Amino acid sequence: MNLQDYIGKPTGAGTIHVERGAVSRFAHAVTDTNPVYNDLTAAQAAGFQAPPVPPTWTFSSGFLGTWPEDQPEDPTGGEGSPMMKIMRELMKKGGMVLHGEQEFRYHQRLQCGDVLHWQGKITDIYAKESKGKVMTFIVMENVFSNAAGLPVVTEIFNLIHRGG
Amino acid sequence: MTNSIPTLQYSTISAGDEAPVVSHLLTRTDLVKYAGASGDFNPMHTDEVAAKEAALPSVFGHGMFSMGLLARAVTDWAGAGNLKVYGVRFTKQTWPGETLSTRIVVSGKEETAEGKIIIAEVTLMNQNGEVKLSGTTRVLAA
Repeated sequence: MNLQDYIGKPTGAGTIHVERGAVSRFAHAVTDTNPVYNDLTAAQAAGFQAPPVPPTWTFSSGFLGTWPEDQPEDPTGGEGSPMMKIMRELMKKGGMVLHGEQEFRYHQRLQCGDVLHWQGKITDIYAKESKGKVMTFIVMENVFSNAAGLPVVTEIFNLIHRGG
Repeated sequence: MTNSIPTLQYSTISAGDEAPVVSHLLTRTDLVKYAGASGDFNPMHTDEVAAKEAALPSVFGHGMFSMGLLARAVTDWAGAGNLKVYGVRFTKQTWPGETLSTRIVVSGKEETAEGKIIIAEVTLMNQNGEVKLSGTTRVLAA
């Protein structure tokens, strides 16, 4: 399969529960001691109904709040993300995989108790040469939506394979 | 709908203003804590033996830990829940023993359909000024 043919392919989908304990522990792990992330009283005083989540939380949310019993059908048909397949193939010739860029776009506020549905896809793949090495860029997008189907957070990020 | 209160005052902010700096000495314990709390168990971040076998000088920091640390400086300044965009490019790895410091500099502001927006350039660097990640954020102001 030509690399270009992967553009638009789904990388995964899931339902995520924004669990308060996991959010509080995540905030602590990024050194964020703002009490809004673990103290309901502080969260309410800041204008939230429940503790909000730190800005980078959704990146880890698949690990933190996925319950097996309410997951949607796997859009990859059990194959897993095609990104993994591409990277495995490239790594056969050596090199390393790097996280190049990461962006979050916040459409609505997100707080503990919310349930999100995410869908990921590959939006671009391209290669360029740098210092005599081939760099392959895979650009992906994850959209996290609420029960009404409205986007809450969009993540846009790339992974780079740097040839050996 | 929650309605947290923006902490920045649009009228008094101008280009060149800087947010308070957050500095943090990176330790191996930080990497273990972040691995546990995020689910990123790549041994290059937590297993010194495996990292050295891979010809690295030691374990190195998760890029997303750095991004989270820098995000904390943004929300300390602009208030939790007030970010509209936050994006970075990862330029260098971080290593235990480095002191990481944030730099957030206002580059502009604009009134948009989604509210009054402050735009800032964001950077995380070590004690020698080596840039680890850099990017942009757009935050809501009152």
